[in-house]
Amino acid sequence: MNAADLPRDATHLPPLSGDALLTAVRAVAQGPLLQQVEAIDRQGHYPAAVLRQLAALGAMSAHLDTPVGAGSYALAIQAMAEVSRVCGATGFMMWCQAVCGLYLQQSGNPALMGELLADHSIGAGLGGTALSNPMKSYAQIESLLLKATPVDGGYRINGTLPWVSNLGPDHYCGAIAAVVDEAQQPLGKELMFLLRCDAPGVELRECPSFSAMEGTGTYAIRVKDLLIGADEIMADPAKPTIARIRAAFVMLQCGMAVGITQGAIDSMWAVEPQLGHVNQFLEDRPATLQAELDALTARVMKMAETPFDTRTEFFIDVLDARAHGAELCLRAAQSALMHQGARGYLMSSDVQRRVRESHFVAIVTPAIKHLRKEMARLSAEEMPA
Amino acid sequence: MKPTAIAEAIQSLAPWQQYICNACGYIYNEADGDPDGGLPPGTRYADIPDDWACPLCGVTKADFAPYTPPDLAALQAQAACTPTLTTRQAPGVVIVGAGRAGWQLAETLRAMDATLPITVVTACAGDVYDKPLLSVAVARQLSTEKLVRETGAAAAQRLNVRLLAHTHAIRICADTQQLRTTRGVLPYQHLVLAHGAQPALPSSLPAALCWRVNHLGAYLQLRAALGDTPKDVLIVGAGLVGSELANDLALGGHRITLLDTQPEPLARWHDAQAGAQVLQAWQDLPIRFVGGVSVAQVEKVQGRYRVTTACGQRFAADQVIAATGLQTPTRLAHSAGLAWRNGIEVEPATLRTSDPHIHALGDCITVDGQASRYIEPIARQARAIAADICGCTPVPYEPRPATVRVKTTSLPLTLH
Repeated sequence: MNAADLPRDATHLPPLSGDALLTAVRAVAQGPLLQQVEAIDRQGHYPAAVLRQLAALGAMSAHLDTPVGAGSYALAIQAMAEVSRVCGATGFMMWCQAVCGLYLQQSGNPALMGELLADHSIGAGLGGTALSNPMKSYAQIESLLLKATPVDGGYRINGTLPWVSNLGPDHYCGAIAAVVDEAQQPLGKELMFLLRCDAPGVELRECPSFSAMEGTGTYAIRVKDLLIGADEIMADPAKPTIARIRAAFVMLQCGMAVGITQGAIDSMWAVEPQLGHVNQFLEDRPATLQAELDALTARVMKMAETPFDTRTEFFIDVLDARAHGAELCLRAAQSALMHQGARGYLMSSDVQRRVRESHFVAIVTPAIKHLRKEMARLSAEEMPA
Repeated sequence: MKPTAIAEAIQSLAPWQQYICNACGYIYNEADGDPDGGLPPGTRYADIPDDWACPLCGVTKADFAPYTPPDLAALQAQAACTPTLTTRQAPGVVIVGAGRAGWQLAETLRAMDATLPITVVTACAGDVYDKPLLSVAVARQLSTEKLVRETGAAAAQRLNVRLLAHTHAIRICADTQQLRTTRGVLPYQHLVLAHGAQPALPSSLPAALCWRVNHLGAYLQLRAALGDTPKDVLIVGAGLVGSELANDLALGGHRITLLDTQPEPLARWHDAQAGAQVLQAWQDLPIRFVGGVSVAQVEKVQGRYRVTTACGQRFAADQVIAATGLQTPTRLAHSAGLAWRNGIEVEPATLRTSDPHIHALGDCITVDGQASRYIEPIARQARAIAADICGCTPVPYEPRPATVRVKTTSLPLTLH
């Protein structure tokens, strides 16, 4: 019998259990991924094979519900942390792939939830998220860059988005556009849709060099008269869906911070035998950082039990955990450099690479400053207008 | 010369303009152009082709806006007004809240120790005012300037305290002794919670439709919304706050409807016949008391509010005020795992919480499960905490039954 003749579901291996999945993810991270880390960071090598391998294990779909059971956000975050511990860039692309899967599943659109989602879950399809600009828009930091004009059977999209990651010529991403009329006047709602990079009217443009993480498939997307029909619509209007998934979206990013911090702590311990006698004079020693990281991880794991809690107080907790992760990541990476000294300052050292990766965790949307602004906004007392 | 040539010549003399990319912040200077992107120096913004791409992020000229380089001095002056956090400082005492309790404690601590680092974190401006005056401000014609005794900034300077105004305390990390805030992380040696209580709103009274008068900022917003002409004001809750506000706003000419679930106002002091006395005092004021009703719904209808009770009565009002009691916010206490009994449970003599590095005072605490949300105990609580923190001779706090003076101006009542 030919495997291609079987119904799609029958060809899938049953999903790995938690520990087995993490063991398998660790093996990929410390095996093939470790070999490519420098090329990913410096030369812009996009690790498509590793990403597909991780996806096939279920590392980027562990959080998604399946017919046989509910997804585990804790497991998805832990898998992302295992990879980020070795390569922050790949950990970030796992997040892109994971939230794109979340959009597809939460869309309620059969055209997106069938074969497309199944392929996405196992890495046969790769995709990202163009929600940096919309997230900043909802936090009242900037305005929406994509515009959608209603037309027969759907919408016509125009605009340009800077810096969208985990893209390629045959990739796709979830995007949000402000709905406007023909005169560009806002119609008071937003559209969330699947943007395919190979669709007519979509052009990917190379970005200038970044200080790290060059191989993340990051492009500017220029959209000219792209037609979006019912099959591509993820949410119309977008706001209720965003309100439902915002905590999950931010929470998943904690995996990057946890993993990069752990990698930094690892490299402090690595030089302890030789340099412990002098490193003892540094602040932020590995045991102290580990205790803080363990407490934060436990907090994130607890939140991961209720990713769709829509209460404002819960979302503030998630934002604060994400901010704490970014702050800890910065401190740990910086301290790892202090601990390693000159050897950590070599361009080939994972320690200085991690310093640059930690900067990314601090500035990628939502950046530390955005998180604080949003917490302040959500903490303010609501009064009559 | 042809007119167009003249126009072009004039145009070429115009100063070079700058344009900023709204997406990434790249600044296009007409003088410099973008030679790598095919725009020679001196290319006017108007002459940039539509398909030109921002050299940093790739968006097109449609996402650029005119840019004026900032005035550094103005920016510096503006930044001086924004609280910032310097982490290279001894942790000292961090106080959350700048109401009566927070400032009283800062003042008491400073009197005991001239050099102790003290930081006050508050979600508001930190201005010093007497909250009880909010109940008589109309009758006494107290303007904003008169209500604010001292600005937060001035009080901070006088007491040599670092004030982080407009800063929200988000979480206590008790294990590392850090307070996480929206302006960064504050290490502490001693943390004192003086953040008070917040209005407890039943679900039938949405926050977006009902005013709550629990601090100066909200009170001033309400007064601004009421304006200078008499309005129909509906107050839900005829306890101390609701009754005093009704009295004061009525003296200001507003027409008051006062609702309560109990049959009389100030029902907690039924034995002292407080309700009968205030109703007597209100005889000549535009106050209508409706007892024994509970609000089922508040709606905004054509700029006014419609309040419907569970028994089907309807009232129309220009503004709705909820005075339905207070509750202590749980966020900080729960994040630190503090013992909780209707509020932050403290050991009365020292006002210590269940965490030895955290004290609490004022409206947010309970002793034996009882809150006592009055002004009088605060100074005594502050003395007990300051002595405990500074290691001086203990000045134990002793809870006492409160004496309440109802500021219903035409007939003030004293209740026990």
